[in-house]
Amino acid sequence: MEKEYAIEFKHVSKIYTLKSKNKEHAINKRFYALKDINFKLPKGEVVGILGTNGSGKSTMSVILAGISEIDEGEMIVNGEQALIAINTGLNQQLTGLENIELKGALLGLTKKRIKEIVDGVIEFAEIGDFLYQPVKKYSSGMKSRLGFSINLCLDPDILIVDEALSVGDKGFAQKCINKMKELKKQGKTIVFISHSLPQVRDFCDTAMWIEGGTLKEYGDISEVCDHYAEYVDYLNGLNATDKKAEIDKKFEKRVISNVEKKNFFSKIFG
Amino acid sequence: MFKSMKYVLHENFTNLFRIYSISKYELLADMRDSKLGLFWNFANPFIQVLTYWFVFGLVWDKDSVNGIEYIYWMLGGMVVWFFISPCITNGCNAIFSKVNVITKMKFPVSILPATVVLKELFNHFCLMIILFVLLLFGGYYPTVHWLGLIYYLICAVVFSISLSMTTSVLNMLARDTRKLVLACMRLLLYLTPILWNIGSLPKFLHPIMMANPIYYIVQGYRDCFFFHNGFLYYWKSMIAFWVITFVLFAFGSFMMYKFKHKFIDLI
Repeated sequence: MEKEYAIEFKHVSKIYTLKSKNKEHAINKRFYALKDINFKLPKGEVVGILGTNGSGKSTMSVILAGISEIDEGEMIVNGEQALIAINTGLNQQLTGLENIELKGALLGLTKKRIKEIVDGVIEFAEIGDFLYQPVKKYSSGMKSRLGFSINLCLDPDILIVDEALSVGDKGFAQKCINKMKELKKQGKTIVFISHSLPQVRDFCDTAMWIEGGTLKEYGDISEVCDHYAEYVDYLNGLNATDKKAEIDKKFEKRVISNVEKKNFFSKIFG
Repeated sequence: MFKSMKYVLHENFTNLFRIYSISKYELLADMRDSKLGLFWNFANPFIQVLTYWFVFGLVWDKDSVNGIEYIYWMLGGMVVWFFISPCITNGCNAIFSKVNVITKMKFPVSILPATVVLKELFNHFCLMIILFVLLLFGGYYPTVHWLGLIYYLICAVVFSISLSMTTSVLNMLARDTRKLVLACMRLLLYLTPILWNIGSLPKFLHPIMMANPIYYIVQGYRDCFFFHNGFLYYWKSMIAFWVITFVLFAFGSFMMYKFKHKFIDLI
């Protein structure tokens, strides 16, 4: 039964240290980016992660991708995970083709595998004659298409898509969603982080709502989306002072005060 | 500690293609940046050599060092300085300059120092070819001793990677490291007997100079080109060099291992 889950979080927390550079506010606080998160993500599920700005979505994505370490709790991952990072690793001076090779290598593909994917990437990215032009000449949509296409060829078990489709036009977003639906059929687990409710509703099976660093709700897509939409409307309906009070309250909950300051050497050897 | 060294070595050797690709395309991108491209890789050292030759060779009228004409004697040592110096300055920035990559994908961070060194190695080969031609004109013909250059080149590569391993992690913890290194580079050039002969120093300072790992490599290059004393003649420097390199590598990989998942939080 253990194998059934792609990702399992047990009381996971991520803590950031807030450094005050201003002398007047020279208090060193620690801050829960994520606090005590528990969930089990079954294999082959497509889950959307919702949340307002600063609620910890991006932190969640880097933790899920295995880039950042957690500070408390336990995370169990079955399978290879990959974060879809659109514009990273693209070099402005190089041509499209060279960038495919470079990014492929950055992602750890072998030479043979890169040769295999080149045609697929060129076709999916629809860059045509621009293939032999330096990437600096590309439009921003073209750049993201190229980046996204290379990423899709990675073929991991768990895909983490962080705001990836907010760039590019609707047509391309749809194309990406179709491609991801294909991957879904192959039984891949996909974590989809987006602000666009319609996209999440259309594409995901379940949804996870993170608010103020804690997991507020995890369950069926339409329910969670409705609740989230309600909350956003409620927040927008508030007047400025109430809204600020609400945000401050959330922030206070996440702060751990009174931490001793670690100096440079204890950071290295401690 | 051995665990971390094993980890770093393993990561480097399993990612050879990655290292090669990164440095290849970095080099390409650098060349595309300017109109003349590769030309600047030679023009820059050439102008520097000309300056030093003018100041030391012409103005101070040093005509020969141990029977070798000053300009050739200087070139023989300078050529490896042109390799080590950018390795140290860029190696320090190796991780920080790739921040956007390591925050966005799972990436073996410990290969980054090697990519920097490999990139500089290409320039070094180009300079070496030019130097060979110059030496031929000067009447210094290749002998079997020149094969020793391979050993000293490996020394230079291992030393640069070990040093970069340490400085690049320290640079992530505190960005002051890079500023410090940049400020010390000029000092290092003049403190290392590259432009002047060690014989002009008082005797008691010699052991300190001999322990300088960069001097070991510079001296090694000159030995292969002109003096032909062999490896074992410099055994004291050799021991000092490998001890220093090993300590740097051990410390660097220890920190690399310790911080491998924490770099993203150190930005």
